[in-house]
Amino acid sequence: MATKNTSERFDTVDWDEIAANAPDGNGTSTRAYLAALGLLAVLFVYDLVVASGEATFAAVGVSYDVPLFHWVLAFSLLSFAFLGLLPLVRNRGHASANFAGIVVATGAMLAVIIYDGIYLANAVPTFSAIGWNYDVTGLDYLFGFSLLVFAFYAALPLYQNPRMTSYYWSEFRKNRPAMVSLVFLAFIFGVGIVGPLFINYPEAEFFRKYQPPVFATVSMNFVLECVGQQANGVCHGTWDYPLGTTNQGRDILTMIIYGMQISAKIAFVTTLIAIGVGTAVGTISAYAGGLVDEVLMRYVDIMQSFPTLILYLLILYIFGADLTLFILLLGFFSWSGTARYVRSNALAKSQEEYIKAVQLSGASLYRIIRRHIIPNTASSIVTDLTLLIPAFLLAEAQLAFLGLGDSEIASWGVLISVGRNDLSFAPWITLAPGIVLFFTILAFAFIGDAALDALDPEAQAEAES
Amino acid sequence: MGLGWYITRRVAWTFVVTLIIVSVTFILLSAAPNPEVAKAATQAALQGDNPAEAEERIRMIRGLDKPFTERYLEYVTGVYTLNWGWSTMNNEPVTKSVFEALYYTAQYSIPWTLLTITLGPIAGLYSAASQYSWKDHVATGITFFGYAIPNFFFGIVLLLIFGVQLGWVPVLYNTDVPVFSLANAKQLFLPIFVLVTGSIGGIMRVSRNESSEYMNADFVKTAKAKGVSRYRIYARHVLRPTMVPLSTTMVGQLLALFVGSSLLVEIVFGIPGIGRLSYAAIIAQDTSVVLGFTLFFTFLATISNLLQDIVYTVLDPRISFDDR
Repeated sequence: MATKNTSERFDTVDWDEIAANAPDGNGTSTRAYLAALGLLAVLFVYDLVVASGEATFAAVGVSYDVPLFHWVLAFSLLSFAFLGLLPLVRNRGHASANFAGIVVATGAMLAVIIYDGIYLANAVPTFSAIGWNYDVTGLDYLFGFSLLVFAFYAALPLYQNPRMTSYYWSEFRKNRPAMVSLVFLAFIFGVGIVGPLFINYPEAEFFRKYQPPVFATVSMNFVLECVGQQANGVCHGTWDYPLGTTNQGRDILTMIIYGMQISAKIAFVTTLIAIGVGTAVGTISAYAGGLVDEVLMRYVDIMQSFPTLILYLLILYIFGADLTLFILLLGFFSWSGTARYVRSNALAKSQEEYIKAVQLSGASLYRIIRRHIIPNTASSIVTDLTLLIPAFLLAEAQLAFLGLGDSEIASWGVLISVGRNDLSFAPWITLAPGIVLFFTILAFAFIGDAALDALDPEAQAEAES
Repeated sequence: MGLGWYITRRVAWTFVVTLIIVSVTFILLSAAPNPEVAKAATQAALQGDNPAEAEERIRMIRGLDKPFTERYLEYVTGVYTLNWGWSTMNNEPVTKSVFEALYYTAQYSIPWTLLTITLGPIAGLYSAASQYSWKDHVATGITFFGYAIPNFFFGIVLLLIFGVQLGWVPVLYNTDVPVFSLANAKQLFLPIFVLVTGSIGGIMRVSRNESSEYMNADFVKTAKAKGVSRYRIYARHVLRPTMVPLSTTMVGQLLALFVGSSLLVEIVFGIPGIGRLSYAAIIAQDTSVVLGFTLFFTFLATISNLLQDIVYTVLDPRISFDDR
């Protein structure tokens, strides 16, 4: 997070020049953004409540009914213009690489969305023009955005601060299980993100059902056609299907790779939402104080008492199962922990000397929060995440196992439940995804343990004293 | 301000929380299409009657033709007077269904909770007493294993090994056996084992970290110098301060597990408890029963939050009642 003037010493900085160049329209643009959002929200509610049956603008004679996609698009473009483009143009010259990068990349992605949604009207696969047969869906865009945020605000800062990175790395490397876990998770998420782009979803081949994994065997009573060797009424596994096939003859390895992508989507998107909302609520609560603080924290109380799983079941029972809905719901109902952490941390940090120093040197509230409070809260957020993400993955697997998840997708939970009826003779169908899920959760647990030690030397010193 | 005023205020707040949650569920459900009305309309259409008339009739029977506010008031008073409606699935009042299911859930959840809250801190203390030795590593390894393995998956695998392959435990749950019998203990052993391994991890971890802080504290050294026995030191001087932060973590964690795990474990092991009934109700679209379970879990959550806060203040006199 190096900016241009960090190298300058306090007394060499020309404060008058900075004050003269200071962006003065900050308040106006925030107000304009909120006003535009308010207008959008009023229109949306009008569409839902008053003009529910007919076209949105029927009252003024325009027969254009706004679909949900256009509402979301309007919201995204508004937010992009006011939160991304406007500050970038205003601060051109001294905007950080991270901010410029994310604005440009998000702009490119929005262009693809407009091309996909309006020009192609979602009718043909997005990249069919260049002969690539991969259709990008709404959730994929959200996933892409969270990956961008991760790249510019988690990976890039590590590269920008080599000294800090090497310190964390040397602390982290002392913990061998955590190192193995990190490699494992990087593999799972890397393959999950890239794999499905190039591997086709396995076709059902009924005659090749229940093929055993490599080095395993199954009685010929259960298979119709054995791909590998068969001897004495026993079918041997082959490298064609390294982890065997399901009861429909789908390759389990490919299905697990597709499941990795779903897990990665759940992990990244829910995390983005939970951290974004949690940090915002936490800092607002800490800095506004008084009634705002009280109301927000009581709301967090209520949310923590509300059983999210049951809420999901209720919503699913009303609207039907959908992975996007599930991810949004998980994200918007799991920020309470982050909000509490950030709030208590912001309250504690605001008493520290260095915060007083930046306050005296005239830093704005937004800058204090963005530059000093959030980076200093990162350690507790990271440890909180190592508990949250496995819980998300587990929740998805549980719902899929119950048959209440999105049946269109090939998540690990779906695969576990598919194999359940054939457990006595084809245990690999359930065991393979179950073991991958187990190791993923285990990896998060080890990393959380190591991150706690590496990011928070005080806690370790306390524990060892 | 004393403890009494604090508890009064907390109970009042709990009431507000449940009221808000109850209202949200009511609004959600009244916004959704009612499956019963739709079913009646379809049936009438099939029999050649007027579907609109049939819809009217079922709405009148169920009281859906009344204004929104009146229905809301009726519903809220019903919730607090334990009049939760009629289960179309089981043809009995919802409260009766819930209590019947609770009977089976309690049979495994009570031993599970007792085992977790006794074994968890003890394992943590044991780990902290021999920190960084092989005993600690074994205990930590088991903890991580139990935490990471999904309960329902572990249950399936254990059932496959001990039920199907070895035949040591029955595969199907039998509701006819008496509560206190060997057969019941046998069939409940695996679910309890799975649940305890799942829930013990977090508690053991917290209690290990907390108690390691007190292992070398001055007051423990003093006790040692005075010749107090080791077990007395652990029980009296280390465990007690450890329990304060632990008690808060414990209630919250157990509860989160309870809602999720009881459902899955009951389905895997075929126990006709709360979890399975709510699942069946969702599948059968039995609105009143779904609502009943939502309320049950909500009440459970808010009451345990309340208990947790009260326990917290009673255990640690340093916490003032003024700030929550």
